[in-house]
Amino acid sequence: MKIGFIGLGIMGRPMALNLIKGGHAVTVWARRAESMQPLLDAGAKGAASPADAARGNELVISMVADAPDVAEVMRGVASAGEKGLVAVDMSTIAPAAARKIGEDLAAAGVDFVDAPVSGGEVGAIAGTLSIMAGGSDAAFAKARPAFECMGKNIVHVGASGAGQVTKAANQIVTGMGVLAVAEAFAFAAKNGVDRGKVREALLGGFAYSKILENHGQRMLDRNFKPGFKSWMHEKDLNIVMQTAHELGLCLPGSAATAQMFNAMVGSNLGEEDSIAVLKLLERLSGQA
Amino acid sequence: MRIGFIGLGAMGRPMAQHVQHAGHELAVWARRPECIGDLPASVCATPAELGARCEVVFTVITSSADVEGVALGKDGLIEGMAPGSVVVDCSTIAPDAARNIAEKLGEKGIHFLDAPVSGGEQGAIDATLAIMAGGDAEVLERVRPLLDCLGKRIVHIGPNGAGQVAKACNQMIMVAAIEAAAEAMHLAAAAGVDCAKVRQALSGGSAASRVLDVMGERMVRRDFSAGIEARLHHKDYGLVLEAARQSGVPVPLTAVVAQQLNALMAQGWGRDDTSSLLRVLER
Repeated sequence: MKIGFIGLGIMGRPMALNLIKGGHAVTVWARRAESMQPLLDAGAKGAASPADAARGNELVISMVADAPDVAEVMRGVASAGEKGLVAVDMSTIAPAAARKIGEDLAAAGVDFVDAPVSGGEVGAIAGTLSIMAGGSDAAFAKARPAFECMGKNIVHVGASGAGQVTKAANQIVTGMGVLAVAEAFAFAAKNGVDRGKVREALLGGFAYSKILENHGQRMLDRNFKPGFKSWMHEKDLNIVMQTAHELGLCLPGSAATAQMFNAMVGSNLGEEDSIAVLKLLERLSGQA
Repeated sequence: MRIGFIGLGAMGRPMAQHVQHAGHELAVWARRPECIGDLPASVCATPAELGARCEVVFTVITSSADVEGVALGKDGLIEGMAPGSVVVDCSTIAPDAARNIAEKLGEKGIHFLDAPVSGGEQGAIDATLAIMAGGDAEVLERVRPLLDCLGKRIVHIGPNGAGQVAKACNQMIMVAAIEAAAEAMHLAAAAGVDCAKVRQALSGGSAASRVLDVMGERMVRRDFSAGIEARLHHKDYGLVLEAARQSGVPVPLTAVVAQQLNALMAQGWGRDDTSSLLRVLER
């Protein structure tokens, strides 16, 4: 398939590479021209603008930072006037913003799928991302071969916006999950108990989770290199909290968690992995 | 002086009347003209027309977008007001929005003060509002005689936006205190203790506060008719949390109280008093 790909950051670069490996003809565009070079070396064509990345293609995919960026590149995509084009945004943005972008694209004759991902840089490189999609059946079917190059667990959740709702739910679970593991470790340490043994014991029981296993191990190694940067998790939890505010939804656990991530950003931990919440807990409890 | 008022709701109407009673000439504009009612004032067709007639214009409306629209939008104040005239915004809006409006008006030589108030409808009627002003100190001194008609405690906090920051702090403390009062009342009732007596005793000690007096009394009487509509506190909490986020400042208690306000909204009590936080606990 002929695919345009916009946004070549920590996630977008390996995702686009996997499309090339899957045999698709990929055209790339990124705001910083130097980000495009590794893809050009791998056989991609370079585009001069988002509109240029859409022109002549059947599918165009964006992977950028925030809703205003998605809206901007999709305005460019719409301006290409490519009939029958399907646009897919794999960034994490607010469900309401995704629905609005979908409507704007529909007015330009472009079908839209919101398809945020989970699995981080590791999943992006390995092509094992979880992909949660919202949009029409036809648009999802068209995007599916591309999704299969980038991910494993691919679910068409529902109509436009449903992918982002699912991603927000994912961030609630992972945000609280990371905080829960960090709190358990801080608790064990302050009690003079070996965290590694605690983790090992818990992995056999009902507290087992992928976060306890993977993030827990990185906490033990004190490897705070991202992974998933805490400022991005803060951004995602802000989407959750704003949506809760708009809907009249009571989410006390998410609210407390969002404040911890807010404090991380304010304490210069924003560029570290979200597991650095452990450092914040240790400071608060006089353990560091 | 010729004074304009935009926003003649529960707060704006008594404020406009105080200014008028002090001998000033009053002009008004309202999105819904029926809000003007029997107020004896010159009615203008647009904010621009109002602005052209007045030396000082007060705005007392709900959201950042509303104030931006009235000040900067089509037929807005910016199109009518003369250089040297003053906009005094008594609404509660985002500090960023206040700074933006001040900057845009400033380009036309129009002065802007963010001057949010605390004290509620009763404070507006009694002219006992607390007014927290952000903007140029000289401009504040020029309009201070007008503000003296509205409130008792008028404090210059700092440059534009600073008044709104102070108001955000005010809302954090006030609504958290309402939640604390509600939880105390709820605990007392659950333990089979007379809430009225608890409130009475507490009012004499270290837990005494205006909130415990006023909102605690409403909780005891189970009178949840607004006072201050809870939806406005809910709106303000959105502003507070966004400001905290932008500064990277953790506000754990505020965040939890915000969730209780979300629950209150979900019950459909947004137009009732914020003392309805008690009813959220009773669900």
